[in-house]
Amino acid sequence: MKKATNTPSKSPATVLGSEESFRLLVEGIKDYAIIMLDPTGHVASWNAGAARFKGYRAEEIIGKHLSCFYPTEAVQQGLPEQELKTAAKEGGFENEGWRVRKDGKRFWANVIISALRDKDGSLRGFSKVTRDLTERKQAEEQIQQQSKEIMELSTPVMQVWQGVVVAPLIGSLDSQRTQQFMERLLNRIVETNSPVALVDIMGVPTVDTQTAQHLIETISAVRLLGAQVVLTGVRPAIAQTLVHLGIDLTGIMTRSSLSGGLQVALDILNLKVVRKDDSR
Amino acid sequence: MALESISVIKLRDLLLVTVPPDPDDETISALQERVLQAMALYEARGLVLDISTVQTLDSFFARTVAETVQMVGLMGGRTVLAGMCASVAVTATQLGLTVGNALTALDVDRALDLLNAAPSGARCV
Repeated sequence: MKKATNTPSKSPATVLGSEESFRLLVEGIKDYAIIMLDPTGHVASWNAGAARFKGYRAEEIIGKHLSCFYPTEAVQQGLPEQELKTAAKEGGFENEGWRVRKDGKRFWANVIISALRDKDGSLRGFSKVTRDLTERKQAEEQIQQQSKEIMELSTPVMQVWQGVVVAPLIGSLDSQRTQQFMERLLNRIVETNSPVALVDIMGVPTVDTQTAQHLIETISAVRLLGAQVVLTGVRPAIAQTLVHLGIDLTGIMTRSSLSGGLQVALDILNLKVVRKDDSR
Repeated sequence: MALESISVIKLRDLLLVTVPPDPDDETISALQERVLQAMALYEARGLVLDISTVQTLDSFFARTVAETVQMVGLMGGRTVLAGMCASVAVTATQLGLTVGNALTALDVDRALDLLNAAPSGARCV
């Protein structure tokens, strides 16, 4: 353990003496597996954290090669040796990946391997600190899944008139969502052969420079198709922000309400809505 | 194949050109040449470039189209790009490709309407 102590020797040595207290500290940690490997990658020391989430007791594992913590396919790819090689060459190595418990179950681990060298610079072994991040990994995956679902739900494009489609935007526009929105809008315009698209931004909470840029991008793509966009639902707050940010929307038709936008669309299509009794 | 596969059709006082699906640089240059010759020959007042079959738009194509629009303009004609695919439009926008002052239309019908309508109200990209 002596060589693992990178801490300065004048650390608060108390009744126990610094080496003893350090050993107890490492052995007592339960949330991290802190182990030492010899230069060839065999386990040299084991702590409570390692025992807790890898499942091996110290006496079973000491002397075994570290590849028993890796899934078979990783071992076949030579990952354990590669990681040690990198750590030896660059002094340290960190990554995240699947590891295997004694019972065969997998867990998502964050692993930091550091090379331990003595004063002369010769390799004495490695320290390996492992954290179990399975819960975080699952939470991340769930969030990704949910945001994907939300994204798919939230960009409907509807045909409201022969030649007019409406796309109400709800929520903020990031670049990934813009991409999806753009594709959907363009495809619908082509499918329905609509020369006018109303993009309603009433449901967009705030418009910043980036959102405006994304909108402008969408609008120029629609123009390439040969259709036009009327931006509707420009609330007072959005109008103020757009002017204050100095965003230039000249050449883009905008209206404050969707009905105003529909009126513009009908004008473009040379259509007029008349009362039934007027037509007599 | 470059030159043979391009057809420039005269429709009354307009020209209709269908761009082949996957044009290489040579074809695109040849196309510009053909279009300008036809403009001079027929004194056409408009050009419809039907690009509905084109699946990829690269920077050379975009630049040549923008140039052609300008050249046709100098010869007194207006150009309408008709029928660009949604996927092509998305890519073009992301790559920042523009087609200069070309007018655009959803299909050839609408392009003809646009050219036959009054010059005002024209929309530009």
